[in-house]
Amino acid sequence: MSYYDIDSILTDAEKIPCTFQLEIPELGYLDNQPGQPLKAGSKIALPLWLAEMLAIANTGGDDQAKSFVTFDLPAALSNEVVQALKADPRAVPLRDQSPHLYGLATHMMDLSEEQELGVVLRKTFVTRASEIALHARKVGGTGHNKGTADEGSNLGVGGAGEEFLRGLEEWERKLFRKAHDGAKAGKEWMENVKKR
Amino acid sequence: MALPLPPGLNHAEVAFLAEMEMVTVVPRQRLESIDLLSGKTPPLRPPHRAELPLWLALLLKKQRRANIVPPPWLHPSSLTSIIHRETKEDPITFSPPPPPPAHANPHSPGTARRLHEEANLSSPFLPSCTASAPAGYLPYHWLEVAEALLTHAGDDMPAAAGDVRSLLRDLVEVRAAKMRSSTSALEGFGGGLMSLRGVGAMELAESRGFVLGVVDGVRKIGASAEAARREEEEMGGGGGEESDEDMGI
Repeated sequence: MSYYDIDSILTDAEKIPCTFQLEIPELGYLDNQPGQPLKAGSKIALPLWLAEMLAIANTGGDDQAKSFVTFDLPAALSNEVVQALKADPRAVPLRDQSPHLYGLATHMMDLSEEQELGVVLRKTFVTRASEIALHARKVGGTGHNKGTADEGSNLGVGGAGEEFLRGLEEWERKLFRKAHDGAKAGKEWMENVKKR
Repeated sequence: MALPLPPGLNHAEVAFLAEMEMVTVVPRQRLESIDLLSGKTPPLRPPHRAELPLWLALLLKKQRRANIVPPPWLHPSSLTSIIHRETKEDPITFSPPPPPPAHANPHSPGTARRLHEEANLSSPFLPSCTASAPAGYLPYHWLEVAEALLTHAGDDMPAAAGDVRSLLRDLVEVRAAKMRSSTSALEGFGGGLMSLRGVGAMELAESRGFVLGVVDGVRKIGASAEAARREEEEMGGGGGEESDEDMGI
């Protein structure tokens, strides 16, 4: 992941629920109470990059070192979503949960051990991948029927499976793009053979 | 800034490389040997068959100086049996690539041996598209060679070019579906493997981006679990060494 990778930046900006462990003065405006200290134990959604910093850094006081915040799994990776993914990976529109679901999940797994989440996500990704490839091939007409000249263009997305394709998250969109480019190049070559 | 080109060969490049495959021609005119970079071509003496690179064979075919003998695996019966094998007998893996050419000894049956045993022969050095190629096996450049022959030498086909072409289309579809479903083999924890044995060059060019994307995604998802496992293993390994040293002392 490069420094300027826009997807990585956007993933870092995803909010995750955090619980403050200390009372912090003058930060009450974060919890809609301007002018008052932020109480210990209040729950606030913080962007991932900030939450990570605060959770890892300790207060450095004389008493036992305590981190500023503890964080939970975001709603996109909540138990309900995981259960739904276990039941049928194809039926869940991942984009509605988070446009950067896999990136978020891998980041969360780096921070805390989530064995089960990893297994479920791998299954989800692989199952959805073959579905994505199927749609990517279908888009823009099949090889059998001779259509208009712009048949192989990228604009042909639509028709059956539109619902599924709308639910793709960013990793899956990239995958769809790659699969589609491959299928399109194949089709173009197939048609060009006859011309030469 | 990296090159904007995706990794691997694209379709046109693969098709260009496929033109290096040797095919069998039946010349109609005499043609002396040509001194090419890759060696001399055999002199053409009608009606004796000769083996030429595909590009030269297509050139002579266009000039009506030769007919191309299609490879046996392009025969409809061979294609039908391959489709049968791909769909009915083994709906998961791809049909195997052609075996290396073997040499049977007529005096002691059952002791067929490979020709050139010491050489490790692979795609461009195997005569997989000549008339002596084995039927029922798809060589590495099957789709490109078949398309080129069907387009430019359709009248040399053993059956109507349209029939062969539709069989070929079926085969392409069957194998594309296999390529899609083969990614599900990556589901297993840590031990996910995709076998691409017997996949042709053109199919690789088509699916490279997708397959690499899936493998990379699975790797990223499993990265943290993998790191944790490695750490554990290292701890275990270190402990083991220590105990070994203790034993030594």
